[in-house]
Amino acid sequence: MTDTETSTDLERLDRVGEIATAGEHQIEEMAHAHPGPRQYVLIAIVLCTLTGFEIAVSYLDTRHTNIVIFVLATMAALKFFLVCAWYMHMKMDLAFFRRLFVMGMLLATAVYGILLLFMSSTVLKR
Amino acid sequence: MAQAVVTAGPGELAHGGDPEHYTNTGVSNAKLAIWLFLSSEALFFGAFISTYFLYRGRDAQYLNKGVQNPLTPDRLFNIPFTSITSFVLLMSSLTMVLALAAIQRGDHRRLRIWLLATALFGLTFVGGQVFEFTEFYRHGLHLSTNMFGTTFYVLTGLHGAHVTMGIIWLLILWGRSMGDRLPTEKHEAVEIAGLYWHFVDIVWIFIFTAVYLIPQH
Repeated sequence: MTDTETSTDLERLDRVGEIATAGEHQIEEMAHAHPGPRQYVLIAIVLCTLTGFEIAVSYLDTRHTNIVIFVLATMAALKFFLVCAWYMHMKMDLAFFRRLFVMGMLLATAVYGILLLFMSSTVLKR
Repeated sequence: MAQAVVTAGPGELAHGGDPEHYTNTGVSNAKLAIWLFLSSEALFFGAFISTYFLYRGRDAQYLNKGVQNPLTPDRLFNIPFTSITSFVLLMSSLTMVLALAAIQRGDHRRLRIWLLATALFGLTFVGGQVFEFTEFYRHGLHLSTNMFGTTFYVLTGLHGAHVTMGIIWLLILWGRSMGDRLPTEKHEAVEIAGLYWHFVDIVWIFIFTAVYLIPQH
């Protein structure tokens, strides 16, 4: 092995070490940043309130169905965000995991959004 | 030589994972795997939710053609009952996260209580779903009765199967804890089960809104 190859290997190892150390620090910080039981209970109360509100909205006898759908979808999205951020610790966990999950969600939304638009406007109209 | 240095780098120890398994980047392999799995599950459930939406209100166009007074969601759903089971599943997410907080503190007595509570809440939810399916079946809604029956049973049934898997997973963890085979440093095992459980909960948040609450007309 030449001197150049050895030094390149060492540089690569240094970089791996830096990434690992950075990851370790982030993980340690993350462990300290986890919320406590009081905050978890508070989130549960908010989730239950939102669900109660959702059920009440679904009973509204109105001709404005689109508004009802919009309100229900917004509250479902809010509940989704709360569970992801606090219970799944996305708020405090490594950004890498968050990106991974968001990528899947966005991909699903895009794929099935296009499918719904296409199918409902063409195939099912036949 | 170089490989030996790399594999001996800091890693999973900081995560609370198995001290014998290190990773180069400090990111636990098990945690990476569960996030990847959940990401793929988003696509899995997305397929069934969008199929439900696609055939919503189109029964007359397909299998129910010519049927008088067809079996539709409006006639079958018992919203107060499903709301209670939804509350139960939401509460199970709270007990799950409390179980994780307990093992991170080293409080194994509370860990067992919260794990068992989560499993019991899950069982109540699945029991409610079985009751609902039985009721619908008695009213004549089978898997092949109409498009609503097909999409509804497949979507909610697959979710129920996921909850059942979660219950089994939780009971295994509870059993390990009872046998003192779940030490504090292995809290990542509870965290991973928790991530799966919370995901199942968020899928239900969407199913509950999309299938039960959004007006059919």
